[in-house]
Amino acid sequence: MSVITQPRSSFVEEYYAGGPKEVSFNPYAHNGGTILAIAGDDFSVIGSDTRLSEGFSIHSRDCPKTYKLTNTTVLGCAGFHGDVLTLTKVVEARLKMYEHEHNKQMTSGAIAAMLSTMLYHRRFFPYYVYNIIGGLDEEGKGCVYSFDPVGSYEREVYRAGGSAGSILQPLLDNQIGFKNMQNVEKLPLSQEKAIKLIKDVFISAAERDIYTGDQVQIQIITKDGVRMESFALRRD
Amino acid sequence: MAALCVEPSTGGFIFENCKRNAVLQSKGLKGPTALKTGTTICGIVFKDGIVLGADTRATEDTIIADKNCSKIHYLSDNIYCCGAGTAADTEMTTQLISSQLELHRLNTGRIPRVCTANRMLKQMLFRYQGYISAALVLGGVDVTGPHLYSVYPHGSTDALPYVTMGSGSLAAMSVFEDRYKINMEREDAMKLVCDAIRAGIFNDLGSGSNVDLCIITKDKVDYLRPFDEANQKGQRQGDYTYKRGTTAILSEEVKKIEFDLISTKVTRVEPMET
Amino acid sequence: MFLTRSEYDRGVNTFSPEGRLFQVEYAIEAIKLGSTAIGIQTAEGVVLAVEKRVTSPLIEPSSIEKILEVDSHIACAMSGLIADSRTLIDRARVESQNHWFTYNEKMSIESVTQAVSNLALQFGDDDAGPGAMSRPFGVALLFAGIDEKGPRLFHMDPSGTFLQYEAKAIGSGSEGAQQALQEVYHKSMTLKEACKESLKILKQIMEEKLNETNVEASETLNLTAMATVTKDNLFHMSSKEEIEEFIKDI
Repeated sequence: MSVITQPRSSFVEEYYAGGPKEVSFNPYAHNGGTILAIAGDDFSVIGSDTRLSEGFSIHSRDCPKTYKLTNTTVLGCAGFHGDVLTLTKVVEARLKMYEHEHNKQMTSGAIAAMLSTMLYHRRFFPYYVYNIIGGLDEEGKGCVYSFDPVGSYEREVYRAGGSAGSILQPLLDNQIGFKNMQNVEKLPLSQEKAIKLIKDVFISAAERDIYTGDQVQIQIITKDGVRMESFALRRD
Repeated sequence: MAALCVEPSTGGFIFENCKRNAVLQSKGLKGPTALKTGTTICGIVFKDGIVLGADTRATEDTIIADKNCSKIHYLSDNIYCCGAGTAADTEMTTQLISSQLELHRLNTGRIPRVCTANRMLKQMLFRYQGYISAALVLGGVDVTGPHLYSVYPHGSTDALPYVTMGSGSLAAMSVFEDRYKINMEREDAMKLVCDAIRAGIFNDLGSGSNVDLCIITKDKVDYLRPFDEANQKGQRQGDYTYKRGTTAILSEEVKKIEFDLISTKVTRVEPMET
Repeated sequence: MFLTRSEYDRGVNTFSPEGRLFQVEYAIEAIKLGSTAIGIQTAEGVVLAVEKRVTSPLIEPSSIEKILEVDSHIACAMSGLIADSRTLIDRARVESQNHWFTYNEKMSIESVTQAVSNLALQFGDDDAGPGAMSRPFGVALLFAGIDEKGPRLFHMDPSGTFLQYEAKAIGSGSEGAQQALQEVYHKSMTLKEACKESLKILKQIMEEKLNETNVEASETLNLTAMATVTKDNLFHMSSKEEIEEFIKDI
C-alpha cells in the first residue's frame, strides 16, 4: 500500500503557485509470486514459489501461494496478498456453504465457475489476484483452469501466472505443448516429468525475476489425495 | 553524403530531441526505460587503506538484466569508485572523471588525490541538477592517506569512515553500524564489507548474485571479482537439448558460386613446433 | 381436529396448547380439495401425471397447466391453490438458473426442493424475503427430475416439509391413488409401465367422480396431462397422441 503524490503540470508552477496538492490513496500493492499448474491424464500438479515481497523488500521467504480447497482441487493465487487472503477465505466459506446446502463436495469445474462469478462480481473494484486452479475433473482426469482478475476463465492443460508467468509460459508451450518443434515424439506427460519440469522452470524464473525465489512448493493431486513437495531456490 | 551519417562530434550532451520527446510524451508515448543498477555498494576505511564492495546484479524493472555486472569502477591507479543508479550514468561519469584525472596526473606529474576526484565528481553532478542519476562511493589512498566519500546524484558529498549507497544501503549500513571499528585489520575489514554486501544481496531485491571487493592500500590494489559467490545457480534435473532437425527450415536455396580456375599449387604443410 | 378448534387458529405463528399450528394444518387440508397428481420414479426416469379438473364444459382444458418445467432436467406437478404455486415455481426456476450460472452445473432435485421449501417456510416472518406470504402456501408440489444421483421424486407440502418418494399421489384422490400405487409399484418397473399405471389410476379416480360433473367418461383423455423426465430426453410433456397410446392399452 502506498500514498502517491500527483505531480502538478510543471515544476515551476508548483514552486511559485503552491496551492493544494491532490493526494490519492492506492488500495492495491503488488506482492509478487509465481504460480504454475500442469494437467496430466490422471493427475494435476500445481506449484508456487514461497517469496512474498513488496517493492525491493522481502516480507516473507515462507509464504506458499497454493491453497488446498478439496481433495481434488488446489487453488493458486498471486498478486496483492491482502486480496489473496480475503478471496481464499471467501472461497473456503462458499465451499462449506455449498457442502451444507447440496450434501456433496464441489467439483473442480464448479469451483472454477463460482470463482469466475465471484471475480466478475467485483468488476469495477477487482480483487487484484491472478488465479490458477489445478485439480481433477469428474472423470478423474487432470484439469487446469486459469483466470484473469475480473473473471475471464478457461480450461487448459498447462498455465503459468503471476510475476514470472510471462517468462515461463513460452517454456511450457515448448516443453508440454511441443510448440515450434518438428519430428518429436509427443509422449503423454508423466507425473515425474511434470514435477521435474516445474522444479527446473522455477530455477530459471528465480534466475531472472526478482520476485521469484526462496522455495518452490509443489502440490500433486491424484485420486489418492493431495501430496506436497518442496524444493529450494536461490535466496537473493 | 557520408558526413550526414556521422554524428557531429561536439562535446557534452545533445538536448535537441528534448522538446520533441516532451510533445510525444504529452500525447501518451512512453519513453524508453534505462537500465538501473538497484544496488548495494559500500566502503570502509581500515588500518592500511580502503575496502570497497559491491554486488553484481543489474535490473531492468523487475527483470534481472545482468547477473554478473561490474560496479567498482577504475578512476586512477590509487582511486576506485562504486556506482549505483542508472548504469550508463555511473559508467560514463566515472570514465569521464577517470580521463580528467589522468590528464591532471600528466599535467602535474603527481598521483591524483581523492579529494580532487571528489570535487570533480560533485561539480559535474551538481551542474546536471540530479538528472545524471549516479550515486557513488568513492575511495582511494593518496599522499595524505586513505579517504572515503559518498557522492549523491545532486552533487552533495560526505567524507566518512564507512558509507553505503544504493537500494541495499540500509541493509548494508545495519551491518556496519553493528560491527565497524576504527583501525580494523585487513582481513576483518574485508569480512565486514563482504557481510554488508551479502546483507544487501539477500534482503534487497534490487541486489543479488556475487560480492566484488576492491582493497586499496598505499602501494597495492587488490581487485577481487568475484570475492564471494553468494548464490549458486540451481541444478536442473531435466535435459533440454534438442535433437538435430527439431527446428523447421522454412525455405532453402543453394547457390553455386561461379569462379575461374587460374592456377593450382601443391605445398607441404610444416608441422607446428613448440 | 376440528373438535379442538379454538382461538389458536388465527395467527400463523401461534402454537395451540397441544403444540399445533392450525393454519399450517388447514393449508394441508386445502390440498385434499385439489385435483389429483401422481408421480412415479423408475430406473429409466420419472413420470408425473395430473388430472385436469374441468368444472364446466365451457372451460378450455389446454389452459389448465398443472405440470410445469422448472429446468431442462426438472418437472413439477401441483395440487391445491394453483395461484400460490406460481410464486414457488418462479423461485424454483430462479434458484436452478442461479445455480447453473454460479457453478456451471445442473442443480440437484433435492436442492431445488430445499430452496422452494425455504420460501414456503417464511410465512409470518417479520423480515421475510421477496415472494414470501403472510400465510402458508396452499399448495403441494411433486418435483421430478434427473440429477447425478439418477431419477428422483420429491414431495413438498405447505408446511415446507419435503420427502423423497418412489411413488406419490397428492390431491383429492390421493388416498385411493396412494393405495393403488402401493399395490402396483415395484422397483424394476419400466417407465412405460409407470406411465400406464399412473394414467390408469387417474382414470379410475376421475370416473368415480364423473357423476359429480357434466363430463363424459370418454373425455378423460382430454383431461389428463403427463410429463416424463429421462436421461436422454430430459423434460418432456406428453402429447395427446402419446397419452392416447397408453390409454388404449388400459
